[in-house]
This record gives sequence, structure tokens and C-alpha cells, in this order.
Amino acid sequence: QELGCRTTHCNLEVVYRSTLVFLATKPHILPAVLEEIRPAVGSHHIVVSLVAGVTIQTLQRLLPPWTKVLRIMPNLPCVVQAGAMVFSRGSKAGDEEAELLKSLLSSCGLCEEVPESYIDIHTGLSGSGVAYVYLFAEALAEGAVKMGMPGALASRIAAQTLLGAAKMLLETGEHPAKLRGDVCTPGGTTIYALHQLEKGALRATVMNAVEAATNRACEMAKD
Amino acid sequence: AGVLAAHKITASSPDTDLPTVSGLRKMGVNFTVSNKDTVKSSDVLFLAVKPPIIPFILEEVGPDIEARHIVVSCAAGVTISSIEKKLSTFCPTPKVIRCMTNTPVIVREGATVYATGTHADVEDGKLLEQLMASVGFCTEVEEDLIDAVTGLSGSGPAYAFTALDALADGGVKMGLPRRLAVRLGAQALLGAAKMLLESEQHPGQLKDNVCSPGGATIHALHFLESGGFRSLLINAVEASCIRTRELQHVADQEKISPAAIKKTLLDKVKLESPSLSVASASKVSLFTSKSKKN
Repeated sequence: QELGCRTTHCNLEVVYRSTLVFLATKPHILPAVLEEIRPAVGSHHIVVSLVAGVTIQTLQRLLPPWTKVLRIMPNLPCVVQAGAMVFSRGSKAGDEEAELLKSLLSSCGLCEEVPESYIDIHTGLSGSGVAYVYLFAEALAEGAVKMGMPGALASRIAAQTLLGAAKMLLETGEHPAKLRGDVCTPGGTTIYALHQLEKGALRATVMNAVEAATNRACEMAKD
Repeated sequence: AGVLAAHKITASSPDTDLPTVSGLRKMGVNFTVSNKDTVKSSDVLFLAVKPPIIPFILEEVGPDIEARHIVVSCAAGVTISSIEKKLSTFCPTPKVIRCMTNTPVIVREGATVYATGTHADVEDGKLLEQLMASVGFCTEVEEDLIDAVTGLSGSGPAYAFTALDALADGGVKMGLPRRLAVRLGAQALLGAAKMLLESEQHPGQLKDNVCSPGGATIHALHFLESGGFRSLLINAVEASCIRTRELQHVADQEKISPAAIKKTLLDKVKLESPSLSVASASKVSLFTSKSKKN
């Protein structure tokens, strides 16, 4: 309401007044909502689902056969316009609808069309991935606190370090291994630290994390 | 390797039973049991003995070293200054070059680095570089990097042989005959190394190029990462480098344990150089006032 949007308690009203409809409910509520709005959905509507684990097949089953359906998976930093989103189209959604969604959402970050099979992987990589980064940031700061830096300062620096590194990756387009090498002067501090990370098998652990989250997303989709 | 005619090379060893001796003879290299004769007839001297033996050799051939000689030591951990120090009792400005190479020089794919001593000129370094470049890669480095080079490319072939043995085991486990498994594993590493050397790309990028999404390779790499593959290799290079530095302290010692040299060898050498003496019961310094040059 603060942003100047109209609000209502009535789902049907939203569908009547809109062309592009975003479904943003919890998974177990969705079937009931679709049941409710089904009568109002026309061939002009574009229905975009953000609901985790609900496949295009399910959406198309619960909506009229002429419905243009798209499924999207965002991540949290969309709220600061630095999100990562992937979307797939249903059988009735065409290039126009895909372009519309992409151009709208690119203002919130990276938005790419993908085969539906990538959506669970995106969850493991970037949906949940944001949490991995928070964990890493916390640990970095704790290391600094251990070495004598005040916590608040350490946290801000940790966050800025991650932001800066990510920005360099995105802007230079260089391979992360190359950028990593560029930071490592022979016999210097960085290579000593990296050796510790390798000893802790950080890479494998991160791969395990992405795998676990992806597998869980697949499992949940089946429920 | 075509850079130097065999008859211009002289090899010496007091012990003629070594398999390398007959191999060298077959190549047409001049052979002698006298280190002293070798020095007299050569300009470039390669000291190819174990580090603890270096001081012994230097004492033995020292009297015959002249200003023209370039003394090249391949002994791990033996510093230029320790060699110069010992030779300077015989020759005021000894030319010393320290190098570190590796076994694949045998197939002309060696990795060699060298550092020039105080009195060795740029041309002397270039001569060595020309010689060693004929059997692989050769470049000059600062002396304090040589221990790291030992850890990486000196010991490196051993890491590769271990990896190849294990890769072959993997192949055999999955059904390949041993010979084929070894052949394929070696070719895979050879090819990968060649790709890397000829490419501008980072090895990480080359790795990515092999990993198709959800494919066999990325599954395998995950196993390697889980096992701490990368850190094991880092540990290995570090351990070899550190050990080389420890050996340096051994070689810097001026005392030779008679246990380092076979008694039979000692007797043969003593005939040539009566000034040398080594006591059998305890460690004795060879650099007493008695053992000066004749």
C-alpha cells in the first residue's frame, strides 16, 4: 500500500483487473487458490508462478487449457535489485510472454529463461545459495574478531569483500580460478590461507551443499 | 640431444659396476675412473653426486680447478656459497652454477632451472641453458627459489607416476587390461599437460571445458575434491621443498661422515689423492691444515 499499489482480499478481483498474474503462495495453499481463480482466467492472461516445487505440468492441469503459464524461481536479493531468477514456459506461453517477463524482472537482477529441469538446480545454487554466502560472511568476520577486529566492522568488511569479489567476477568475465591466482603472490598470505581452505575440502563441501538442496527441491516437488 | 658430440663428454665414476656406466660407454662418451682426469680434460663439470658427497668431491678435485672451469652442481640443497667457499681455498674466482633438473631429461622433456654464482658470467649461464634446453625446458631463477622448484618439478615426476599407477588401478578395476590402462592413463596426462602448455587458458578453465553438466567428469571431480586432492598436492610440494632446505644444512656441514661413502670407493680414491684421509671410527674434518693442495 505504501508503494501506491491497490490491495484487496479478493483473489478473483486481482485476476479480473490484471493481465499478468503472479502466484506467490505457499505450495500447499496453491491448489485451492487455483480452484478459486480458474473461472476468471482467460486466454489473455499470463499466469506466473513463484511457488516452490509446483511444476508447470501441475499448474497447467489445475488451470484452463488456454492459460499461458510460466514458472519462475527468484532468490532473496531481488528485494535489493540484485537477484538471480530463472524461468520456464508452459506449452501456451510464447516468445512474447517470455520477453515480457524477462524485461520486467531484469530490473530486479539477473533473469534468464531455462529448461524446467534447471529450476531445482537454481534452488540449490542460488535460492539456498544466499544462505551459504551468509554463513561464509559470518565465518570470515569471526576469523577477524578472533584476530582482534571489532565484530561490527568485521561484518561490514566481510560483506564488502564478497560484494567486491562478485562484482569483479561479473564485470571481468574472467574465470574465478584466474582471478584467484591473480590475488596470490608467491609465498604470500593468500596462498597460505587458500591451503587451509583446501585442507578443509571446502570445494567438496560446497558441492555437497548444492547437491543436497537440489535433491531436496526435487523431493519436495514430488510431494 | 644433438647439442654436443659424445666424444666431447667425459664421465667419471670410481665405481664401474653401475648400470649407468655401460650405458654411457655405449653412447660413445669417454669414461674414466679418475675424477681428477675428468677435470683436467673438461671445461664444464657436472657434479652429479648425492649432497653429502659434494664436499668430498670438491676437496678431491679442488686442486685441479682452474679459472676456465664452470662447476655445475645438481645436488639438492647444496648452496652456491657453500661450493664457492670450498673451492676458493684452491681457486680465487671459481665459476659455480647451481641447477635443479628432473628425470624426464631422459626423454628430452626435462624441467631445469639454474642460478649463477658470484664469478659465473652471463655467457656461462647461457651455455648451461643451451645445453639443458636441448633436453627440455630451462630457465634462470634466483637461487632462493630452487628449493621450491625441487618440490614442484624435481619431485613432480614421482607424484605423476603415483597418480598414473592409481589411475591405471582405476581402469583395471573397471575392466581394462593393465597395459592398456597404463598406456591410456599416461597419454591422458601427457595430452593434458601439452594442452595446458600450448593454451593461454587457466587450468581451471580447461577443466571446466571437460565437464559437461551432470556428466561423468564432474561426478569424478567431486570425489577428488572430497578427498582433498588439491591440498594433498599442495602438501606434497611443500614437504619436498622443506625437506630440501633441511638437506641444505646437511650439505653445508664441513664434516663428512665416513658412513656416507663406501669403503671400497674410498680406497680407490685415496690412491689418487694421498693428501686425503678419513678416519674410520669417528667423523673427521677433511679441511684440516694437513690437507691442502699439493
